[in-house]
Amino acid sequence: MRNRSASSLFITLFLTIGAAISFFPIYMAIANSFKTQGEMFQSFVALPSAPTFDNYVQAFHKINMLSSTLNSVIVSVLGIGGIVFCAALAGYKLSRTPGKASAAIFFLFVASMLVPFHSIMIPLTRMANSLSVQGTTYGLALIYIGLGVNMAVFLYHGFVKSIPRELEEAAHMDGCGEFQTFFRIIFPLLLPITVTIAILDFLWIWNDFLLPMLMLTDSDHYTLILSTNTLFGEYNKEWTLILASLVLTAIPVIIIYAFFQRFIMEGITEGAVKG
Amino acid sequence: MPMKGVLKRYVSLLAFVAPAFILYAIFLLIPTIGGMYYSFTDWNGLNTNYQFIGLDNFVEALKDDPDFVHSLLFTLKYVLYMLVLQNVIALLLAVLIESRSKSKGFFRTIFFMPNMISIIISAFMWTFVFTQVLPQLAEKTMFTFLDQSWVGDPKFSFYAILIISLWNGVGYMMIIYLAGLQGVPQSLMEAAIIDGANPLQRFMKVTLPMITHAITICFFLTLNGAFKVFEVVYGFTGGGPGRSTQVITMNIYEEAFSNNFRYGYASAKSVILFIIVLIFTLIQIAVMKRKEVEA
Repeated sequence: MRNRSASSLFITLFLTIGAAISFFPIYMAIANSFKTQGEMFQSFVALPSAPTFDNYVQAFHKINMLSSTLNSVIVSVLGIGGIVFCAALAGYKLSRTPGKASAAIFFLFVASMLVPFHSIMIPLTRMANSLSVQGTTYGLALIYIGLGVNMAVFLYHGFVKSIPRELEEAAHMDGCGEFQTFFRIIFPLLLPITVTIAILDFLWIWNDFLLPMLMLTDSDHYTLILSTNTLFGEYNKEWTLILASLVLTAIPVIIIYAFFQRFIMEGITEGAVKG
Repeated sequence: MPMKGVLKRYVSLLAFVAPAFILYAIFLLIPTIGGMYYSFTDWNGLNTNYQFIGLDNFVEALKDDPDFVHSLLFTLKYVLYMLVLQNVIALLLAVLIESRSKSKGFFRTIFFMPNMISIIISAFMWTFVFTQVLPQLAEKTMFTFLDQSWVGDPKFSFYAILIISLWNGVGYMMIIYLAGLQGVPQSLMEAAIIDGANPLQRFMKVTLPMITHAITICFFLTLNGAFKVFEVVYGFTGGGPGRSTQVITMNIYEEAFSNNFRYGYASAKSVILFIIVLIFTLIQIAVMKRKEVEA
């Protein structure tokens, strides 16, 4: 018994040290973002003696916090909404339709999940350019839909199998059209997998860097991450300012994490198991 | 009548699938095919004139482009380290956290948190830690080994890049392993305890076989993600010094967007990346599927 509590203590100690190391960079960023440049160089590890918000005020303006956040929100909401709408329709129908055509289309969607983004970024950029969707937040959202539907179709396709057909047949008897049946009866039943898809796509789109960098040229359209990247490049040595901007950029996701932690973790597990 | 029924079925299939398929075709399918097509040409991205040059681009990339080959090997090394370390650490954390009762939720929250932060933001945060904090820490404490040229010396940069990637990625795998561990039936564990199995034996003989599915998934995700590594290196070393820490995606990026407009050549490199990811993924799936069946 004593042996067991000793090993239990050891495990807790081990995890605590690990957690401290894991939290260290975040602590560093937060603590030093409240210092002046001079105070920071005296000691990085110490807590700020007289916390200043100057860095935050500056960073807030430099990364256009409000408009950048708004851009990120627009891209994420439109992207996720579009993916859910398009993929639910397609995944449902493909799952319910027997035959070669349906199977072939489904195979195309699934096979494309293996294509690395970096393998298509060159032709994709040219395509976006020739369709004039390059350079706008709405165009960016459209591209996210195109890139994201394959996995969502796959997940919906699998989930629909668990919904009994009798429901649709009954609705059909009552004179519901196909689309009406889908939106009134089926789509609400897809909610669990819709939440999973929305979460996975949110983590992807909100935190994505390379696609916005390739697509957006005007800083008015920059997403939060892109604005911070620009600031990082311009203020090379002003660490207190940079750290404040990093913390600002991290705040929205940390808030979402605090509220939706359970859903996020379930979403990841669900997406992984089905994937 | 049957003819009409078939037609109606196709129209309805089309109506449901079209929105997704059109966007998918424009932004994923056509670029994929287009990229493969241009990889066999000497197109410069501007001229309407270009020629088919067969496999020349591929031969040049693998034979006469030391920077590309170096980026390829560097990426492979990174993938191998990630595959082992990310899964071992994630599984270790999951097992230890699962054994806690009260503090389980707390540790899960802390270890997963870095995953919420964008990788590029993580890389910037760690740049601060590696270039500013650690040298000072080394100076003030006895941990002198912390003062290395983390950004300037590729040997150390490699480990720094690994640390940042692991910090960011371990939490995700840990969540999947935790879910896997919860699926291990308690009765099996108790039976093993009664049979006198020690903790290590219980882990090797009961837990591991019961979570092969989670292991398969995590290996797949790590493999897929690690080959596509870009942001960490971009944010931390920018591929430097020189091109010593350049990964394959950065090499493609540089070829395509910054210097010499060799679209055909850059496309060939993209196709090489695709083929490598495909081969490794298929091998991994085949091996793991066999293991799963056995278990």
